[in-house]
Amino acid sequence: MPTLALPELLVLATALVVLVADLFVGQVGRRQLLPVALVGVCAALGALLAVVPDSGELLGGRFAVDPLGWWFKLALLGAAAGVLALAQPAWQGDGRAGPTLANRGEFLAVLLFNLAGMLVVPSARDAVTFYLALETATMPLFLLVAWRRNAAGAEAALKYLVVGALASAMLLYGLAWLYGVTGTLDLTAMAGRLPATPAAYLGLGLVVGGLGFKLTLAPLHFWAPQVYAGAPLPVAAWLGTASKGAAVAAVVLVLYRVAGPHAQGWTLAVALLAALTMTIGNLGAVVQTNVLRLLAFSAVSQAGYLLVGLCGATRDGAAAVTYYLLVYVVTNLGAFAAAAVVHHHTGSQDLAAFRGLSRRHPLLALAMMLALFGLAGIPPLGGFTGKFFLFAVAAQADLHGLVAVAAVNSTVSLYYYLRIVRQMYIEPDDSAAPATPTGLLPGLALVTATAGGIALGVVPWFYETVRAAAAGWP
Amino acid sequence: MGWASAMVVLPLATAFAVLAVPAARAAWIRWVALAGTGAHLVVSGLATAAYWQAASPDADFARTATAGKLYLVERHAWFPSLGIEYLVGVDGVSMAMVLLTSLVIFCGVLASWQVRDRAKEFFALLLLLVTGVFGVFVSFDLFLFFVFYEIAVLPMYLLIGIWGTGRKEMAAMKLTLMLMVGSALILVGFLALWWAAGGRTFDLTQLARFHYDPALQHWVFPVVFLGFGVLGALYPFHTWSPDGHASAPTAVSMLHAGVLMKLGGYGALRIGVYLLPEGARDWGLFFMALTTINILYGAFGAIRQTDLKYFTAYSSVSHCGFVLFGVASLNLLGAKGAVLQMVSHGVMTALFFALIGMVYGRTHTRMIPELGGLARTMPWLATCFYIGGMASLGLPGLSGFVAEAHVFLGGFFGNPFAPVAWTRALTVVATLSVVVTAVYVLRGLGAAFQGPVRDPEHLRLGDATLTERLSTGLLVAALVVAGVLPGLLIDLVEPPLFAVVNRLHALPGGP
Repeated sequence: MPTLALPELLVLATALVVLVADLFVGQVGRRQLLPVALVGVCAALGALLAVVPDSGELLGGRFAVDPLGWWFKLALLGAAAGVLALAQPAWQGDGRAGPTLANRGEFLAVLLFNLAGMLVVPSARDAVTFYLALETATMPLFLLVAWRRNAAGAEAALKYLVVGALASAMLLYGLAWLYGVTGTLDLTAMAGRLPATPAAYLGLGLVVGGLGFKLTLAPLHFWAPQVYAGAPLPVAAWLGTASKGAAVAAVVLVLYRVAGPHAQGWTLAVALLAALTMTIGNLGAVVQTNVLRLLAFSAVSQAGYLLVGLCGATRDGAAAVTYYLLVYVVTNLGAFAAAAVVHHHTGSQDLAAFRGLSRRHPLLALAMMLALFGLAGIPPLGGFTGKFFLFAVAAQADLHGLVAVAAVNSTVSLYYYLRIVRQMYIEPDDSAAPATPTGLLPGLALVTATAGGIALGVVPWFYETVRAAAAGWP
Repeated sequence: MGWASAMVVLPLATAFAVLAVPAARAAWIRWVALAGTGAHLVVSGLATAAYWQAASPDADFARTATAGKLYLVERHAWFPSLGIEYLVGVDGVSMAMVLLTSLVIFCGVLASWQVRDRAKEFFALLLLLVTGVFGVFVSFDLFLFFVFYEIAVLPMYLLIGIWGTGRKEMAAMKLTLMLMVGSALILVGFLALWWAAGGRTFDLTQLARFHYDPALQHWVFPVVFLGFGVLGALYPFHTWSPDGHASAPTAVSMLHAGVLMKLGGYGALRIGVYLLPEGARDWGLFFMALTTINILYGAFGAIRQTDLKYFTAYSSVSHCGFVLFGVASLNLLGAKGAVLQMVSHGVMTALFFALIGMVYGRTHTRMIPELGGLARTMPWLATCFYIGGMASLGLPGLSGFVAEAHVFLGGFFGNPFAPVAWTRALTVVATLSVVVTAVYVLRGLGAAFQGPVRDPEHLRLGDATLTERLSTGLLVAALVVAGVLPGLLIDLVEPPLFAVVNRLHALPGGP
């Protein structure tokens, strides 16, 4: 039933259309390709909402959709639409942030190929598909990070490439161990045959470690700040939302589908990893003065919160993680979209670029503040409910210490988010600062992200539906 | 929409109405805010009447009940899979706190009449803050409670940061972070209580029917009490309070010291002691000792202050110590005293901060040594200051006396689970603070309002304007009414406190 893979196929088709069109349209016409890509992604989103059933399988069971995977795909496509929208100024015009991204073609095609790989991750049901999907979801990122071909980008991309290659090797090695101890590549069958032996845990550890690079779990997070700051801003947004979403889908797949029956064995390790990741991320962010490095460390800490939901491999945990991923993507997109607008007009990644924003552009400042409060977990925003549900999972596993660490970490994070709020609202405006018109598509992204962040926190439908979707999970 | 929901919806709607005022009509902002809070004051009064009508037939049952009863309840499922509900209602204690809050915010808006810089954002944030405060007092679902609790805390950062004075950025950050650490502790406690009771409901009245394992109570109680204690200025976590109150604009200091700090005592009583009687039994004496330090530390701290706002802020630390002392003494008199002190101190400190704002608006200084002889030019303000000061040092006839008498008697009769000699010794030490309070109040007021005029410029200043007279007059009237007719308030707050105390008395080893 090809409708099952319709979103993936639509994304691939759009990538090809953009790639071929790029050959004919020339420098000026190329700037009009971004809306084409956005339409393609929106079509895929529409297909997902309207056509794709919430369960089914293809290719002899190697590619399957389940209700929770459906939500992961929604998050990924939403992130893609958002990133394309916020990339509009950087794509179409020369801002202070640097020459237009459209100077070199293929950007959109590479991004869409990347997206197609990510979309397959939650559907992968055997180890080979899983590995290939993850590689497709990672390799193009090395290119995208270095897109501006400047020193910072090249250094960032090289660092990313080296760490990424190591992680990829770990992942492959881990999958090989799992294959070795179970004798099957089928991830579902693996679960039934996985013994509680050191070899199996070694395999699992290597796989989670390999994914931990993508998910920025400490201590594999150290590439993130430099890569976020060195990459073009839309690529940083892409790394912070979609790439992380694919990694979460992969971790959930491995820990639930493969290692779920052994939850007793790994919960404490995951809890410790969560505590370590959120603490390191938050402490790192406290001293940053570069907004992208700050958002990178913030993304590290958010990965730590997400891990909290995996403790115990419960149904509530699966629902809480998926729900928080939605919240995280929406909220982070809001923050990146606002940062993109400011960055495009000032060319500065410094926190001081936000100085006086509430006077120059009150709505932009409000959207940024709500996004930051969402990331900090302030009610009634989705960031709060999402974190509350994650922490509730830890309480259900009787890990009250983890709840305390996570809750105190949220307070620490509030400190550095408030530093940006302070620049926007409390510091006086410099009259020399340029006006900051938002632009149509980034404005749309900001409005959607802000409204989504509030709706996710107040309207119970989202969480309850996700939880119903998690019915089949242990 | 019922009465309890109206308590939350009204200020929120007023906040949006303020935002909707066209920028060209700056004066309308104040009037809209005043109309909204004035209407709220009236609605609170009507809600109290409705509550009274519903609750008075139950007054006798309440004496023996071990579960509190809610009135004017509205309940809707919110996140049903976790048992989270929109559950609002009132009982006597929350009704008293709602009345206090609506009085303070109304007077706070009047006291902010002079705010011109970004007035729209100021009033909107102030009303958002007070929405959170009302929400905490009417919500009986722990999740909802926590949502409102954080909404009540966070706007403070911007209110102090933008409209404050002095080292406002530092003070705003310190206050926000310290209170958020407190709320993190509360969250840990809430989730532990929720899960231990089966993970199906956050309804406080349902959770109160569950008997928690004493080992769990033993660690959750101090976590929750400390979490609320941060907001209630529990020593040694009170340090945000003097800096925060000194830097905040007038209405924010009024609201924060007057009402927000009471959320700490309210939560410690309503959730800490009520849900966790055995935890309270284990820790009562410890917290009585800690709050005794609180009371004395605040009082001695106030003696040394020369800035009127720091002076009042330290005095608040001392007075909020009485609230937590009353809660920790674990008997009916102490609990009643704690609630009475919340109301009394709320009105008194709101009055102080309003007056300080008015004096500062005229003299442009808050330093006591630079003032002097102000009673000559500002008789109204000086008189109000004296009345507030007398309430503060516990003069009979004003609200402070009633509250402090309850607290001290409660402490003297003692925590039923601790050696009576200990609680009496602590009470005697705490009572000494009354002397210290008299010293700093009389010295401070004398230096600022009596004696020679230090600055000849001050002779040309005028007395209170009409709006200022209205706001201070209302607060003074409340102090007097609560002092002369304490029965009104006691009858209101007593029934729900029986449930708290009866649970304690039902414990083995109790009286």
